[in-house]
Formats: sequence, C-alpha cells, structure tokens
Amino acid sequence: MSNVSNRIAPRVLDVRPILQSGGEPFQAIMDAVQGLGPGQGLRLLATFRPQPLFQVMANRGFDHEAREVEGGDWDVLFTPRKETIAVATSPDADRSEIWPDPSSYLDLTDLDPPEPMVRILAAADRLEPGEVLFALLSREPLFLFPELTKRGYRWAGNFDATGEAYRILVRAGSTKG
Amino acid sequence: MQGGTLSRWTMSYFAAACLMFVLGQGMMLAGYGHPAAAASAPETLVLVHVIAIGWLSLLMAGALLQFVPVLVARSLVGGQLAAPALVLLLVGLLCLVAGFVALSGALDLPLGLLPFGAALLVLGFGLIAAVLTVTLIAARPLPLPASFVAVGLVSLLGTILLGAVFSFALSGLTGDTWPLRLVTGGVPLHAMLGLGGWLSLTAVGVSYRLLAMFLLAPEVERPTSRAVWWAGTLAIGLVAGCVPLVVFAFPGTEMLVSVAMAFTLVAVLLYGGDVVKLYRTRKRKQPELNIHASFAAFAALTFSVLFFNLPELRAGEAAPALVYLFVFGWLSGLGLAQLYKIIAFLTWLETYGPILGRVPVPRVQDLVDERQARLWFWLYYGSVAAAGLALLTGVGLFFRACVFLQLVATLGVMREFVRARRLSSVPAALRVPPGVIRPNLFLPVFTLWR
Repeated sequence: MSNVSNRIAPRVLDVRPILQSGGEPFQAIMDAVQGLGPGQGLRLLATFRPQPLFQVMANRGFDHEAREVEGGDWDVLFTPRKETIAVATSPDADRSEIWPDPSSYLDLTDLDPPEPMVRILAAADRLEPGEVLFALLSREPLFLFPELTKRGYRWAGNFDATGEAYRILVRAGSTKG
Repeated sequence: MQGGTLSRWTMSYFAAACLMFVLGQGMMLAGYGHPAAAASAPETLVLVHVIAIGWLSLLMAGALLQFVPVLVARSLVGGQLAAPALVLLLVGLLCLVAGFVALSGALDLPLGLLPFGAALLVLGFGLIAAVLTVTLIAARPLPLPASFVAVGLVSLLGTILLGAVFSFALSGLTGDTWPLRLVTGGVPLHAMLGLGGWLSLTAVGVSYRLLAMFLLAPEVERPTSRAVWWAGTLAIGLVAGCVPLVVFAFPGTEMLVSVAMAFTLVAVLLYGGDVVKLYRTRKRKQPELNIHASFAAFAALTFSVLFFNLPELRAGEAAPALVYLFVFGWLSGLGLAQLYKIIAFLTWLETYGPILGRVPVPRVQDLVDERQARLWFWLYYGSVAAAGLALLTGVGLFFRACVFLQLVATLGVMREFVRARRLSSVPAALRVPPGVIRPNLFLPVFTLWR
C-alpha cells in the first residue's frame, strides 16, 4: 500500500464562465470530483468564495485552501485527506504519482460487472507503451487485478472518499503487455 | 493485492460435494438411516456425516478457498495445500463412514476405522483452517464478512475435535468416563457447533459480500450486521461453554442452550432484515435466479430457528423435521442456489479471462439457462418442505417419495452445473474463440509451462 495524495497535479476546473453566464456550476464540479484520480486534488476557479461547497467537499474527504486572486476571483485548492484514501497498487506500480496524465477516460459506473472488467481490458489493449488510462467503476474490480498483472500492466486504484466510486489508473508497460 | 485469482481446486471440491449430496439423498431414498432407523443409530450417523462433511463442508471449504481472498482483498496463503486437504477429507470421510457401518454390524470391519478416519478429517480440516486462518491474520483488521468466517473456523475446529473424541469413545479405544459422558450428552453440541457455527455463520458472512456483489448493492457495514455477528458468536460461545459442563457432569446445559437459541433467533431476524435492506438498495434491476432461490433458504432458516426456540419442539418429535428443514432447506438450498451462480461465473472467468477485451466473448448469463433451472429449484424446495411434513407426520413411504422428488430436482440443478462447465448454453459461434482452452469438468487445466 502506498499513498499518493497530493503528489498528482490537481485537476483544474474554471467555473467562472458558467457563473458569468448565470448558470449553476454544482453539477460540473461534482462531475469533476468524480473523475479525479486516486489521491488527486481539484483546483477550482470561481467568481466568489464558494462557502457552501466547503462542507460538501469536506464530507467527501477533501480539505480546502481558498485565496482571493486578482479581480476579486477565488482560487480554491481541494486536496483529499491523506488518511481517508488507501491506494491499492500492482506489485510493480511504484511511483504512480509520476505516471503521465491518462490518455483515455472511461466512466463505467453504470455497467453491471463483469462488463467494466471487459471494457478496461479492451481499452488497456489499445494503449501505447507507457500510456495510462483512467476508469471509474461502481465496485472494486477484484477479479480484474490479477488479469491486469498477468498481462503486464501496472495499476493503482482506490475508492473515492464517499466509498461509492472506485477509481483505477492502468499503465501499459514499456513493452506492450 | 491480488484478490480475485481463481482457486485451482475449488471446482474439484464442488464436484466431490455434489457427488456426496446425491449419495446422501440416495441413502434416504433407499430407506437407510433416519427415519427408518433411530436418530442415534449408526446408519443415521453414516447418512448425517455424508451430508454434513461430504456435501456441506466440502462445498464450504471449496467456496472459502475461492472467496476468502475476495473478502479480504488479498491472495490466499498456502493455496497449494488445497489438493492434499481434499484427499485427506475424502479418505477420512470414507474411513469414518466405514467405521459407522462396522458399528451398525452390517459389515465386519475394524472399529479402529472410526478414530483413523477422524484423525484424517482433523488433518484435512486442519489444513483448510490453517490456510484460511493465515490468510485472515495477514489481512487484519478484518472486514465484517471475514470476521464471520473467523468464528466459523473456530467452530469447525471445535466440531472436529469433539467428533474425534466421540470416535475414540465409540471404537472402545479409551475406557475413561469423560469421553463416554461426551458421547451421551455432547452429540447435540457437536451438531450445533458444526451446522450452526461452522456452516451457518460462515455462510452468513460470505453471503453479505456475495449478495452485495450479485445485487450490485452498496457494501456498507451496518450496525445490524455487526449485531448479527455478536449474537451469533455469543450463541456459539454458549454452546461451546456446554462442553466442559458435559465433561464434568455439571448441570445447566439445557439453560445455556436455550439462551444460545434465543441469541440465534435474534441473529437470524436481524440477518433477515439485512438481506431485505440489501435487496432494496440493489442497483441490478432484475435479480438473477440465485438470489430468488436463496430467499427460500432464508425462509427455511427463519422458520426452523424460530421453532427450535420452543423447548417442547426442540426435544420432541418435531426435532428431526426442523433439523431436516435447516439442513436441506437452509444450508443445502443456499448451497445449490449460490453454486448455480458461482460455477457459471468461475467458469466464465477461467475460460474467457485470458482473452477478455481482445475478442468478443459471451456474457456470464449466456452460460446458464435460468428458465430450466427455475423449475428445478421450485421442485427442490417444494419437496424439502413436503419431506419435512412427512417426518412430522411419520409416514415413511411419503417421506421417501418426497426425497425422490428432491433428488430428481437436485440432479436437475446439477445438470445445469455440468452444462455451465461444458459451455453448453453458449451460442456455438462464441463458445470457443481462438486462444481459449476449454475448462475441464472439475479438474484444473494443467499446462507444462505454468
């Protein structure tokens, strides 16, 4: 087990255009949170200090750090609390924090097992050497792990802070697995 | 963290278990053992051990070798001991049964077969328990389902050690009085530890995880589920506490058993509530047959434990009928229902796992024919209920007619297992894509470069 919190660059989400056009950015923010990799933070740019969001994010296991920037806008960094997220990795997946950004994203939360396993293996087969894919599932794919390892992929995954979604990063070996 | 590797010998355990289940029902059909013989007659002991060890315990051992790693998300430690353990258990059971046959006087066999068989069973179950215990210890702190398995394993050890003492006493190898007192007063404790602690608590624990998996329900550790564990563990502790009372001829076992039964009822009712909650929070719209078929087993569990709480029924003539319902409705029914799903899933993973994502493969559902199997499950539970009634009313011929139907239904369900293993229901075009090795019926596939 290793913990990669804070080491992956945070995802940046700028909701100022939505706010300026009079829209409601909550769904966009929640979608972004769901798509975060294991241990990944979220950097939010807004036109005001998003006070109500702090509690929502705290419930999901994120701390926040807000600062006002030029023009009265706010820059908020949400970082996952370290103790809430244990990351499971394949035996050779050390330093997953320096893996490149994923080249493909799969949202498999609506699929019944074992379909997510089939999709991930198919998508992994299409990765170029060294490339990474990110997938979101509704359950921990216990039967997928040995198959990934057998095929020479490295992986790192964990549940999000709510325990409702499982995130996994899969990386193709330097020689294709 | 390599949770879900396939356990190589699990299918062999399942196959041996199914064979023993057919054998046991065949004996009842032939009128061997209870009700034709007394409940404590050697013939009944043959029957009871073929069912409890041959069918239920081999089934449970095979399932745990596969699913304990899933419960704790860790690989099994010492999985290569699974095959020798299976051989020890089968040979041990054969010797034990031969010993009971000798005891009945039907064949002139040495009575020493009893303790010899018991010793092999202690070794076999000891190996299984060791493999699972080491795996569990490495995974501490245990998730709740695994904690149930831990108590189940302790109960298993208690059951087989008691059984070993019985075998020494019955074969006349020991002249001490305490083993004889145990034989006279400890048989119900042996049965409660085995059927309740080992088989039922373990099944309940594993079912929490498997039901959530199959129903796509959120896996939350409910306070009620923890209460089930506490109540079940206390009940087993009280039953175990009766053993020294019997050994030293102290009074009080009846009271302790009554309290244990009350705790068991609390556990069963809370467990039923948890199952309903799991079912209601499911994401899978159409639950599969294994779930519906398990519900009848849950009903049999509730019904039998409820009535076992009435002392006059527990000690009276209704006891065999309640035990029958518990063993064939609850434990065997749940076993058949879950096997129906597990065999298809494990076969799918074994066959198509290596090529998943590379070529189109059938779905897990394509390996089974639910329409056909549903009829068999209806017949199975219907005949179990009828056989229980027959035991209650004491009509021997009616009982055997029910057992006949029950056996037919069992064979029908098992035919579905074989069809799943043989990929018979899979559309021919998808059945064996290039790169696929057909699974053996019940032995692992051996490859030279493994």
